[in-house]
Formats: sequence, C-alpha cells, structure tokens
Amino acid sequence: MPGSQHTRLASLHDVELAALAATGDRRAFGELVRRHGSGVRGLLRRMGAPAAEADDVAQDAFLAAFEGIAEFRGEGAFAGWVKRIAARQYLRRLQREKRLASLAAEAEEDSAHEGAVQSEAAGRIDLDEALKTLGAPERLCVTMCYGAGLSHGEAAEALNLPLGTVKSHVKRGLEKLRTRLAPTDGATLEGSRANG
Amino acid sequence: MAELDFERGLERLFADAPHFADAEAFAGRIEGRLARGWNMRSWLIGVAGVAGGVVGASQLIMSNFVHRVEDASQGSTKILQAGIAQVKPSFDLLTMMQSDWLVVWVASGLAVIAMGFVLTKVIEEI
Repeated sequence: MPGSQHTRLASLHDVELAALAATGDRRAFGELVRRHGSGVRGLLRRMGAPAAEADDVAQDAFLAAFEGIAEFRGEGAFAGWVKRIAARQYLRRLQREKRLASLAAEAEEDSAHEGAVQSEAAGRIDLDEALKTLGAPERLCVTMCYGAGLSHGEAAEALNLPLGTVKSHVKRGLEKLRTRLAPTDGATLEGSRANG
Repeated sequence: MAELDFERGLERLFADAPHFADAEAFAGRIEGRLARGWNMRSWLIGVAGVAGGVVGASQLIMSNFVHRVEDASQGSTKILQAGIAQVKPSFDLLTMMQSDWLVVWVASGLAVIAMGFVLTKVIEEI
C-alpha cells in the first residue's frame, strides 16, 4: 500500500530515513528529497546558479548523497550534509567549465550592481534580493559559510582561494547584507519565501 | 554580540527553504533516476553473475567433473535399476535414464544457475 507506506515514512526522523535509504530503500530516500529538496535548490540559487542549472546540480547532489548515504552517520543534520554535497558539486561544475576562476576574479567590479538594487523599496527583508547586492565571490563565500555550513577553511579549499581572501569576501559580504537586511519599521530578521 | 546575533539570524534566513511549486515533481524525478539506475545495476549484476556462472561451470565441465558425474550417474542408474526391478519388474523406467549426457547437461545448467545466483549475491554485497 503506497499511501500507508508514505504516511509511515513521513512520520520517521531524517536519521531513520537515512538508515533505511542505506539499505537501498529508495522510497525512504524519496521522502528525504521531499523534505530537503527545496532547501538544496534554494541554496544553489543563492550561490548564484541559474534556476535550471541549480536544479540539475541539486539532482546530481541527491544522487551522490544516495550513493554515499552510508557515510551519513546522523551526527549533524541531513539537510546540512546534503547541502554541503550540493555546494561542492556546484563548485566542481564551475571549475570544470572554467567559470570558477572568472567568478572569483569578479571581486570589486560588482559594487555598481549594489546601488541599483539598494534603490528598491526599503525595509523589505528578503535574503534573495539582498544576496543580489553582493559580488559573485562574496555571494559564493557567504552562502557556502552561512547556507551550506562550511567553515572558512573548507570554503577556501572548495573555492581554491587563499583563506584570507575567503575571510575578506565573507566580511565584505556580511557588511553589505547587514546594511541591506537592517530591520526597519519593526521588521525582524526572519526568513522570506520566494517562489521557484 | 550584535555581530553574533546578526550571523545567527543570517543562518536562520538561509535555513528557511524557499517554496517551490514543483517540489513533488522534483522528488519524483530523482526517484525515477534512482529507479532507472537501480534497474540497470541489477541487470549488470545479473549479467555478470550469469557470465561468472557460465565460466565457473565450464571450468568444472572441462575438468574430470564430466567423468565423475558420468560414473556417478551410471552407478545410481544401476542401483535404481536393481531397486525398481525388485519392486516393479515390468516397468521400464530405466530406458529413460540411459541418456547419461542429458543428466550431465542438466547438472551443468543447474550449476550455471547456482553459480550465477551466488556470484550475483556476492557482487551485490560488495
């Protein structure tokens, strides 16, 4: 009975689902995808991937996660684990297509972009909009560290950049986000929801 | 402190997954790809198992196994012949068992299947 099985799976914790998936249970893994698919797709878009590419990478990341599910021991959250896989896969794709170096080199030129976005309606707390005000490397670094949960060192390694460079990208990115996300009119720093 | 609060708030914002209208279809696509991959893998494992079984069985057949089986089947035929002759002398079942080669080939076929099964299970476990 697929319906009752779906209900049973929906009631299980991520760690239990991952344990089932490790035995080859594809339905259990499907439930994990249902729970965390949007988070992974959202993360990749926030890293700057176009929608179609983000979905491609997200699919590949989940397939890779299924292959390596035995490595997930439930010490951290499944969402964080699969997001790290996805972030690394996206960077590998950028590297393979020789786009990573140019993105990392964009550094300062993106500040022109910032002014245009800042003139939008003030006070709206929207992470996705705020991220657009960041340069490509800042956006990548901030998203990898705060979205995928990588340490600065791990991000530096994945991006093939010096640690100091990553730290300064993160610092500059945070400064811009702080300005952009500064709560006004009683708003708080809470999640915004964007449609795919 | 304010910096830390901001960073925690930012992490919360990132953790808040956007809503996608096609989330179910996305999960379905991944399940479909997993199923296709699994089917292909099952076929490959099965083919590898059967191929291994064929090789193993042919090695057995090429060795003294044939003669041993032949001797064994002839021996068992004689024993059966004697037994059945005592019970039912008129029933000529034994003519059916004269074809020793048929027995050998049936045994070889079963060996291929058995070895294929064992190899398939071993490959799956690996």
